[in-house]
Formats: sequence, C-alpha cells, structure tokens
Amino acid sequence: MSTAGSVRVFAEYDGDLRDAADVVVVGSGPCGAVVAKELAEAGRSVVLLEEGPPFTPADFALDGALSMARTMREAGLRATRGHVMPTMQAIALGGGSLVNSAICVRPPAFVFDEWATRFELSHTSRTALDPHFDAIEAFLGIAPTPDAVQGRRNLLFREGCAKLGIPSESIARNVRGCRGSGECFTGCRARAKQSMDISYVPAAIRAGARVYTSVRAEEVLCSGRRVTGVRGRVVAPFSGAPGPTLTLEAKAVVLAAGCMATPLLLLASGLANASGQVGQNLQFHPGVAVMGVFPERVDPQFGATQGMQSLHFLREGFKLETLWAPPAVLAVRLPGAGLALKERLAEIPYASIVDAIASCHRSLGSVRPRRRGSLDPLLTWRLHPEDLPVLGRALEVIVDILFAAGARKVLPGVHGLPDEMGPDDAALLQGRSYRATDFVMAANHAFCSTRMHGDPQQGVVDEEGRCHDLENLYLADTGVFPRCTSVNPMLTGMALAHRTAAALDDRL
Amino acid sequence: MRSLGYVAEVQIAYALVLVLGAALGWRIFAGHARPATALVRLSRREAAFVAAAAEALFPRGGAALPSGLDAGVPAWCDRWLAALPSGTRLLVRCLFALMEHATLVFPAPGWDGWRRFSALDAERRGQVLEAWRTSRWFLRRLVFTSLRAIVTQGYFADAAVLRALALAPRLIEAPVTVADTLYPPIGQPKSAIRFRSDEVQVHGPLDRPPAGAPLEPSGPLHPDYREGGA
Repeated sequence: MSTAGSVRVFAEYDGDLRDAADVVVVGSGPCGAVVAKELAEAGRSVVLLEEGPPFTPADFALDGALSMARTMREAGLRATRGHVMPTMQAIALGGGSLVNSAICVRPPAFVFDEWATRFELSHTSRTALDPHFDAIEAFLGIAPTPDAVQGRRNLLFREGCAKLGIPSESIARNVRGCRGSGECFTGCRARAKQSMDISYVPAAIRAGARVYTSVRAEEVLCSGRRVTGVRGRVVAPFSGAPGPTLTLEAKAVVLAAGCMATPLLLLASGLANASGQVGQNLQFHPGVAVMGVFPERVDPQFGATQGMQSLHFLREGFKLETLWAPPAVLAVRLPGAGLALKERLAEIPYASIVDAIASCHRSLGSVRPRRRGSLDPLLTWRLHPEDLPVLGRALEVIVDILFAAGARKVLPGVHGLPDEMGPDDAALLQGRSYRATDFVMAANHAFCSTRMHGDPQQGVVDEEGRCHDLENLYLADTGVFPRCTSVNPMLTGMALAHRTAAALDDRL
Repeated sequence: MRSLGYVAEVQIAYALVLVLGAALGWRIFAGHARPATALVRLSRREAAFVAAAAEALFPRGGAALPSGLDAGVPAWCDRWLAALPSGTRLLVRCLFALMEHATLVFPAPGWDGWRRFSALDAERRGQVLEAWRTSRWFLRRLVFTSLRAIVTQGYFADAAVLRALALAPRLIEAPVTVADTLYPPIGQPKSAIRFRSDEVQVHGPLDRPPAGAPLEPSGPLHPDYREGGA
C-alpha cells in the first residue's frame, strides 16, 4: 500500500489496477474533497476517485456551450421529465465547485429546526454544525465579495434593495484574489476561485491521499453488513470510452458522487435501500431570472459572477441574488427573433440580471436508472401547484427591485406576460396566477435523493452520514439533505461532510 | 375476374404512392445548398436547416451586429455536435429534423407554406419561428427555446459578435498555484505539466487577499478574441 500522496491522470493508465486504503471516497466535489482531506490529515490512508479529469486553465473553453459540453454530464443538456427543467451536474476534478459561482451561505437556524422536527434529526442544529462551518470557512478563506470587484451590475441590486428597504448583503464566496471576470461558470482563469481541485484536493494529496481521476465507480463491493471496497473502470475524458478496471479494497467507503450519481451507484450495487428511499424525494431549487435594462451602460460582464444577495424572503420561500453567465446562456432568455432579437442583444451592455431560487419543498421527484443497473439517471420532477405562488411572488419582488434601481424596462421571460415591461406595467404581476409551464426555469441545486432521517424506515443515512443498513458505508453529498436548504447548498454539504469525516475517523 | 376499372384504380394508387414517395424523398434529401465550409458531423441538409434558422433568428440589418450566417453558426454547430455524447447528438438531430419538416403540420403563411423550413424565404421563416415561440402549447415553445438556445450559443461563439457587444473575454494572467504543478492538460501525461514546485506563487487560499485587481473594460482582449485572432 502506497503512502505518498499522488494523482493519476488518464494518460497514465495502461492496465487493470488494484489498490487498498483505509477509506475510499467516490467523488471529488465539495463534499468528497472535504472528507478526503480531513481523513488524510488524520493519518488515514485515503483513495479519492473522480470520474472527470483535472482541468488546467488552458483546458477551460470560453465558449459557453463548448465549456458545458466538456465540464457537464450530458454536455450540460440534462433535464428532468414531468416538468421539463434543465439541471446541470459537473464531471471534473473538483466537481461542481469548478463551474459554480462559489457562493457560501450558512442556512439560518430555522432551516435546521425544520429538519429536526420533521426528520427526527436532533443533532443537526445550526449550533451543532457551526464548528464545521467555521472549519471550512477558515481553510478556504471564505469572505464577503469586496466592493472593488462587485461591478456596476451587482451594485445596482444593492441600490434597488436599499430604496425599497429590503436588506441585502455581499455574498460570501470561496474566492481569493477575484478579478471580477464574471467567468465562474466556465472555470476561473484567474485561479481565484478556490474550487476543490486547487484547494482541498491538493491539501489531501499533501496529506498522503492518492487521487485517481478518470475513474468511474461502478459497484460498491459488499460482504454481509459491511462494504469491502469499490470496483471501477477508467473512462476517457469527454467521450467516456471504457478502459481498464480498478479494484479497491477499503475498511470504509464514502460515496460523494452527487445527488444523481450516488443513488444510482447504490441501486446498481443493490445496497442501502431497505427503506425504499434511495432515489426518492428528489428536490430542487428552481430558479427564475429577470433582466433589467438601464439607461446607462452597466458593462455587466465585469464584476463578481454573483456578488449580492438578499435573504430577506427566505421564510416566504425564496432567495434573491444577482447573476451573470456566459452571454450565450443569458441570451437564450431574451424574447423575440430576427431584428427585434438583435436589438435586444445590443442592450446586454446596459443590463443587470437578478434571479431567485425557490424552496419548493412540496415539489418532489426521483432519480432512477435509465436501464436496470445503468449509471445514467432518469430524472422525474413536477412543480407542485402550491409552490407556484412562490415563483410568482419572487418575480414580483425582482421586478420591483430592478425598477427601484432605475431600470427603464424589464424582460420577465414568462409566457403570458409582455416581452418587455415598463415601470407602469409592474402592476400586471400583482396577484397574478401562473401555470408551471409559464416559467423558463433551471435548477442546479439538487437534494434529498438519499436523505438522512432518524428513522431507518424513512431515510437512507443517519445524522453522521452512515447508511442505516450498513456498518461502514457513508454518504456525503447533497443527497443526504432531508429537505432543501433554501440557500445555496455547497457550504452546508461541506459542513455535513466535515462532520461525517470526524465520525468515520472515530470509528476506524 | 377483376374489372379493368379495378386495375386502373390500383395503377393510379401505385402512381400516387410513387409520386408522394418521390416528393417526400425530394423534401428530405434533395436540393440542399452545399455548406460554405467542410463539415464533419452536420449533414448537408442539417447544415442547410441550421443556416436557415440562424439567418431567421439573426438576419442582416438592424443593430450593428453580424448576422447569424456571418457568425458562422453552422460551422460552430458542427464542432459542438462533435463534442456531444452520441445519445444527446441524436436528440439534437431529431430536433433539427422536426423543425425542418414541422411546416407539414404547422405551415407558414402562403399557399406553399408547407415547404420545408429551409426552403422558405427569410420573412416566412421568421413567422414560423414566432408562431412556435408564442404558441399556447408548452411543448412547441419548448422546442423553439431549444432550437434558439443552440443557434444563439453558436452566434455568441463568434468573436466579432462578442467584440461588437463589448463582451469579449479579457486577457487574464493567473499566479502559479500548487494545482498547476499537479495536473497536466487533459489527455496529456504528467511530463506535460508546465510548472515545478519551486515556481509556485500561491501555496494555499489564504496566500491571496479576497479581491485582486479588477479587470478593466479597456483592458486587452484574450488573444482568441482579438481582431484577426485565432
């Protein structure tokens, strides 16, 4: 068994491999990377598996669609059935942290109070998790976005909120040395975003972890009530062409492959599903966005991708935040075609975009394999009619904020509303009822597909992330959330993973 | 014994089937213009459809921006298709075929509005797309949104479009991090790693302040987006 930290890349595999470790961690996203680093620093022998390749700055595609094709599963075109909604999951060393906007928010205490009440989780209060949040924030240097790199687009949101008396704040992010390039979603060329591939994974390697990239975990090996390792296969970057096998023996296994992949791996392995809850209860934070067009030039591509937020409406079920994305992605939402569309494109330099992510607790779905034993997910999800007013209310608030900030018009992007609305049209939104299909939504925060629950009959894992059915199989990704967090989930997932690592270390 | 009338009816039916088959074959396979550039994944008829859609969505004139054709959307689409997994690529091809021939069910205005999409004039192509965009049927709107998303992404991949909108990426120089000494470019061996450990400038997150020097709108462009760039 090797003890020196290392990383293997696709070009280095030339035959079937075997290895052994105290712990195998599947998935190098924010949760898996935390577990790997913490256990390696505790002196455990750790192997970290990642299906995607490591990206260097030279590997980032600036073209939004090609970037998605390289960094996202199904080329970024994955969508739910039922209510058709795009949802993206990354495939890269560092997972989603490579291509998210680095937002780090601690959910308020009431979120955990609801978890405790509804899911019998008495040890998962905000107070209990605060030391874990502290540890993550300290390591990554998480800090509020400085004004110097907010850019006009983000500051307009602050001004609009202030005029309406709505509290707003700079978003805390895992970013150091931000230059406000607005390129978080295609990979940070400034190496400022502390994505896992440049923060936690190198720290894990420094502590002795062995990282195998371009390896897809295909089965968790098991004997009785204990798992014994993982069998995987080398896959070529981007094409997924299969290569040699990798067999790993381990005293414990941590699955952190994400809310979509972890349940499929469990189902393919026939494990941890005595409750029948694996792959069930899927929740999202569906998001709606509105573009405001201002009289003066905003130059929206300059400034932090998402620099400002308001948590004021969390109890109403939504969070507000500013947004920038590759222009091609944003332009998809613009109404019209032909010359009218070109005129609207020409207004992008004058635009600011605000979005809302909604806590749609009632809207549930599932993750199932496309075919028996397959690791490709079939996602089903429906927006519950009682969650619709939340989106409508969010739309109304966003429009008010944009007009308060001085927008001369807004483009709501909602079927049935005018393509463009002036300040006098805002009344059209008040008390309006919507159908789910009126909204063009997207949702990249996914949860609950392997939820934790105090009752083994109703959940897959306990509060420390250990599967109820098995002694040494742990889950550490947003799938374990019992309910959506109402805020961006990365930091919460990392804090829970930090706790899971500590619990596992105690038991090894 | 069968009557002469019956034989004539059968012959007429055969003839009609042949004519319809020939018309269908012509509609699907024939008469498409040769693409402006050599394509790998996109067939000639798919390229004709993408070019027609790009021209309808981003015509010449109006705001001082290149047209969809000038932006080379079909060539971009060819590259993008090559980057897609095969299942997804098939879905995209089905989308193109659906929109190309949906005029049989949702015709454009005019007596010959059932012609394939790429054979319509630019004005009527715009009318067809507008009907899909504003349809009361969600699935029609979804199909339109999907098509427009693809074409729009191709349009925005063009450096001239981004320059015209002042959205072209700027030149960014990054410090050397520990990660830069660990990973080679994708597909290459470790020997392709450019940096050694003694060149590392940033050893951990806390080595840098939260904010760096903000990019300036007047700053230099990324080399690929400069006039005459790669």
